[in-house]
Amino acid sequence: MEDIKAYIESGILELYVLGDLTPNEKLQVEDMASKYPEIRAELGEIERSLEAYALENAVEPSEQLRDKVLNSLLTNFADDNKFPTKPFVEREITEEQFSQYDNIRALPTPATNSFYKYAFAASLAALIVSLGALYNTNSKLNDTQGQIALLQSRNQSFTNQVNYLENDVTVAHDATFKVIELQGTKKAPGDKLTMAWSPVKKKVMISLPDMKLAQNDKDHQYQLWAIVDGKPVDLGVFDAKSDTTSNGMLEMKSVANAVMFAVTLEKRGGVPSPTMDQMVVAAPFKG
Amino acid sequence: MTKKRKISLSEEELVLALRNRDKIAIEALYDMYSSSLLGVIARIVIDTAIAEDVLQETFIKIWNSFQSYSAEKGRLFTWMVNIARNLSIDKVRSKDFKNQNKNQELEINVTFIDEQRNTVYKPELLGIKDLVAKLKPEQKAILELVYFKGYTHVEVSEELDVPLGTVKTRLRMAIMQLRTYFN
Repeated sequence: MEDIKAYIESGILELYVLGDLTPNEKLQVEDMASKYPEIRAELGEIERSLEAYALENAVEPSEQLRDKVLNSLLTNFADDNKFPTKPFVEREITEEQFSQYDNIRALPTPATNSFYKYAFAASLAALIVSLGALYNTNSKLNDTQGQIALLQSRNQSFTNQVNYLENDVTVAHDATFKVIELQGTKKAPGDKLTMAWSPVKKKVMISLPDMKLAQNDKDHQYQLWAIVDGKPVDLGVFDAKSDTTSNGMLEMKSVANAVMFAVTLEKRGGVPSPTMDQMVVAAPFKG
Repeated sequence: MTKKRKISLSEEELVLALRNRDKIAIEALYDMYSSSLLGVIARIVIDTAIAEDVLQETFIKIWNSFQSYSAEKGRLFTWMVNIARNLSIDKVRSKDFKNQNKNQELEINVTFIDEQRNTVYKPELLGIKDLVAKLKPEQKAILELVYFKGYTHVEVSEELDVPLGTVKTRLRMAIMQLRTYFN
């Protein structure tokens, strides 16, 4: 009996009611309560006093919360499969209570609008058609651009041809032009280049159809030099092609007085002074 | 608009109705206990709208887990108020609630709530001032912390910087005061 009194006075029963015990301690209290009616009675007293205390500190919820909570519970009730469904128990319900059930209404569910569904489908179809048209137009544009590029390159080559032929005609009708034949050196005995020079007009031309030079690769070009006052002067670079279809004469840089002309094979774009062992053709000018 | 008459059943009737999944149990449950439970919830979760959300969650949990209640282990309200307190504490400790910075000091809460809310006045409660006078300040503080704020006795011991044994004794004395007052 003394033990039970001490147990009650330890304060563990209050903590039990407040839910402030470990599961093991709870089981222990429940075990004690089932054995000793005094402990059960004490627990009941503690519970009742705290319940009364809560009621004294009660806070009234807002009016609309009642329907909201009852609705959510009834919804829950309807699809509750966790419990075996009991048949609805007929009770004596007053008219007033009955009318309260009528206050519980399901919230209206908004009608689904299918406009956006169709609008989306229509947009998607329009997008696919547009992409197809865009692809078609783009390939046509590419074809056209290719044709324009081809025409431009042809136009360029015609223009060049015309220039060369004009030069040819100029040389043929101008008495101040002297024709000089540059002969192959020991390095390239068969090579030959025909050029025309007008000391008066300071113009230098080389004849494209008469050119006999080994075809240069893409890293190298032929460079024409004039010897003026004992020093080599650059007259520009040119390419030698294996096909001799090109006509006319190519105008080089101008020079007024020269005693000798020579061609060396140099790296593409030319160099400031000639590489003497790369000399392929040369000839002195005998005025 | 006339005020609805509230449904009231005895605790035994209510437990039986809840166990039978009887629809009237839902209304009786709400009418009998919503304000008492909200009194506890609202002192932990200060914001009115959030407190009412927690009250709704509490009723849903009571309804869904009613099979775990056993009348041998204690009164219905004791079981329900522990659910309400735990859900409130979960809410207050949740991340989004903390961001709202709506936690307030304990002392402010009690009077703050009573000023802000329509507390229920019932004839049997007219002596409330007597009760407040009868409880010693340390008894009132400990009841507030444990019953209305959901502190464990270990947390109270740390919060008030008093030994665990003292916390238990004070708590028991405070509840003894309530018992003599209500009886």
